[in-house]
Amino acid sequence: MATVRRNPNRIKQGSVAVDIILYAIALVICLITLYPFYFVIIMSISSPSEVAAMNVFWFPKGFFLGSYELIVRDTKMWWAYSNTLIYVGAGTLLNCLTAVLGAYPLTVRNLKGRKWVVTFLLIPMYFGGGLIPSYLLINKLGMYNTMFAVIIPGMVSIWNIILVRTFFTTIPEGLKESAFIDGASHLQLLFRVILPISKPILAVIAIYSIVGIWNSWFDALVYLPNEKLHPLQMYLYRVVVQQSVDLKMLSLEDTKNAVANMLSNIQLKYAIIVFTTLPVIFTYPFFQKYFIKGALLGSLKE
Amino acid sequence: MRANIQPRKRSSYRLRENMQLYLIMLPVLIHIFIFSYIPMYGIIIAFQDYYPGKPFFSFHESVHWVGFQHFIDFFNGPYFGRLMRNTFLLSFYFLVFGFWIPILFALLLNELKSGIFKKYVQTASYLPHFISNVVVAGMVLSFINTDGIVNAIVKLFGGTPVALNTEPGYFPAIYTITSIWKSFGWSSILYLAAMSSVDPHLYEAAKMDGANRFKQMLHITLPSIRPTIFILLIFAIGNLLSANSEFILLIYNPMVYETADVIGTYLYRDGLLGGNFSMGTAVGLFISVINFTLLYIANSLSRKYSDYALW
Repeated sequence: MATVRRNPNRIKQGSVAVDIILYAIALVICLITLYPFYFVIIMSISSPSEVAAMNVFWFPKGFFLGSYELIVRDTKMWWAYSNTLIYVGAGTLLNCLTAVLGAYPLTVRNLKGRKWVVTFLLIPMYFGGGLIPSYLLINKLGMYNTMFAVIIPGMVSIWNIILVRTFFTTIPEGLKESAFIDGASHLQLLFRVILPISKPILAVIAIYSIVGIWNSWFDALVYLPNEKLHPLQMYLYRVVVQQSVDLKMLSLEDTKNAVANMLSNIQLKYAIIVFTTLPVIFTYPFFQKYFIKGALLGSLKE
Repeated sequence: MRANIQPRKRSSYRLRENMQLYLIMLPVLIHIFIFSYIPMYGIIIAFQDYYPGKPFFSFHESVHWVGFQHFIDFFNGPYFGRLMRNTFLLSFYFLVFGFWIPILFALLLNELKSGIFKKYVQTASYLPHFISNVVVAGMVLSFINTDGIVNAIVKLFGGTPVALNTEPGYFPAIYTITSIWKSFGWSSILYLAAMSSVDPHLYEAAKMDGANRFKQMLHITLPSIRPTIFILLIFAIGNLLSANSEFILLIYNPMVYETADVIGTYLYRDGLLGGNFSMGTAVGLFISVINFTLLYIANSLSRKYSDYALW
C-alpha cells in the first residue's frame, strides 16, 4: 500500500535522479571530511619505503607497525598523557560542581538581588580583560608554571552555569516543596533531590569539559614553560608543529634496531597523531547525542 | 494565632535562606570576580607604562600614566596596516566562502531519505570539530610540505611542486579551506534542528498544491531556518575582526607573516613573549572595542530590517 502511494509521487517529481545526485554529493562530502584522517592512518602503517616515495594514496602499501612500536616506548608521551588525565579529571569535576553551585541559587525565586547576580555573570560573557592582564594575574597569584594555572582559571564556566540553570527551572516546584516540608535545607535539597535527576545535563557539561580540556593547548603554551607539566596536546605541538622534539631520537637509544632507523619522521608524526587521536575518534560517536544536546540547549539562550 | 506568628518567623527565615543560598554560590562568585573582573580592571595598564616589578594594577604614584600613547604608537607602527588587513581578510574569506556551506549542507541532509545514511554523513561531518587544533595543524602542515600529499598530487598531474608553506600568497586559502573543513558539519546543527521542527503537514499541503521538491525547499524549509541564518550572520559579522588566532599561531611561520600575521598572533608574540605588556593590553582593548561595535551595528541593522536580534 505504502509503495503504491509513494511511487507515483516520485516519478512525477523526477525524484529518483535527484535522489541519486543528492546521495552522490553527500558521499563526496563524507570523503572530503574523512580522507585526511584516513590518509594519516594508512601512511602510519605502510612500509617506510613506500611512505618515503609518497606512493600511498588509497590503500596502505605494505604493512609495518614499527613506528607504533617506537611511539609506545616514548616516555615523554606517556608522561604528557598522564598530565592530560589529571587536567581532564580535575577540570571536569570542578566544572560540574561549580556549574551546579552557581546555578541552583539562581533558580530560587525569592533570592534577594538575583538580578544583580545574573548581571554579574553576564558581563564577562561579552567583555574580558584579555590575554595579558590574565597572564599578569596568574603570575601574581603564584600559579605560573604550576598545574593550577591550567586547572583553576578554567574551573568555572558561566556558560555551563546558564545551561544548568535552564535545566533546573524545568524541575517541578512540587518536588522542591515536598523536600522543604520534610525539613530539608537548600544544600540537602540540591544534593539529595535535584542532583540525582540532573544527570542528563551533567553528562552534557562533563562531555564538553572532557573534550575541551583534552584538546586545549594554548593555556599550557602561555603558562607552563616546564615540559614536565605539559598536557598531551602541548607535547604534540612540540612534535608536529614546532618540531622541537625529534621522535627519531627514540630509535637512537637502541641503534641495534635497524628497522627503527629506516623510519621517516613523517611516519612517526602520523603514528603519534593517530595514537593520541584515536581515543577521541572512537568514543565520540557514542557521545555525539550529548554534544548535539549541548549545542541546541546553548542556542536557546543566544 | 497562625497569622500572628508567621510574618516574623518568615522574615528571619527568609534572611537565613538567602544567606544559605549566597553561601552556596560564594565560591563561584569569588572565582568569577578574581579571574574575570580583576583582568578587566587590569586593562588600565594599557594607559600606563607598565613593566613587571612595578606595582600591580595600581594607582600608586610610581605608576607612569601615558594616556593613549600606546594606541597612537600602535596605529603609527609599521605593522598596523598589515595586521588590520590580515585580521579582516582572513575572517572575511571565512565568512564569504564558509557561511553558506553549512546551510547548503543542512538542506542537502534534509533531502536525504535514508535515515541511517543521513546519520552516518552527519557523524562524519562533525568529526573534525572534535579533533584538536594541534592535530589538525600538524596534519595540514605535513600535507602542504614540499614533499607532502598536496604536492604529490600536483606532481601526479605533471605540475611542479609549490612551496605552499613558505609562499605568503597561499596562506589565506590554506587557512580558509581548513577552517571550513573543520567547522561546516558542526555549524549545520542549528539549521538542522530548525528544519526538524517544521510541521510535516506543510509539506503535505505543498505537495497537494503541486509544489515540487525544489519549491518545497525554497518556500518551506528555507523560511524555517531564516531566523537561525540571521542570528548566525550577526555573530559572524560581529566576529569580522577576530580571526582564529589560536589556530593561525599553529600553522603560520615567519615567512608568511605578510598574509598570516593577525592582531591576536601579534599580541601573543610582541605583547606577551616580547614583554610589551602595556602595548599588548592596548592592542587587545582596541580589538575588543571594535568587535563589540561591529556586533552592536550588525544587531541593530538586523533588528531594523528583519526583526531578529540578539538583544
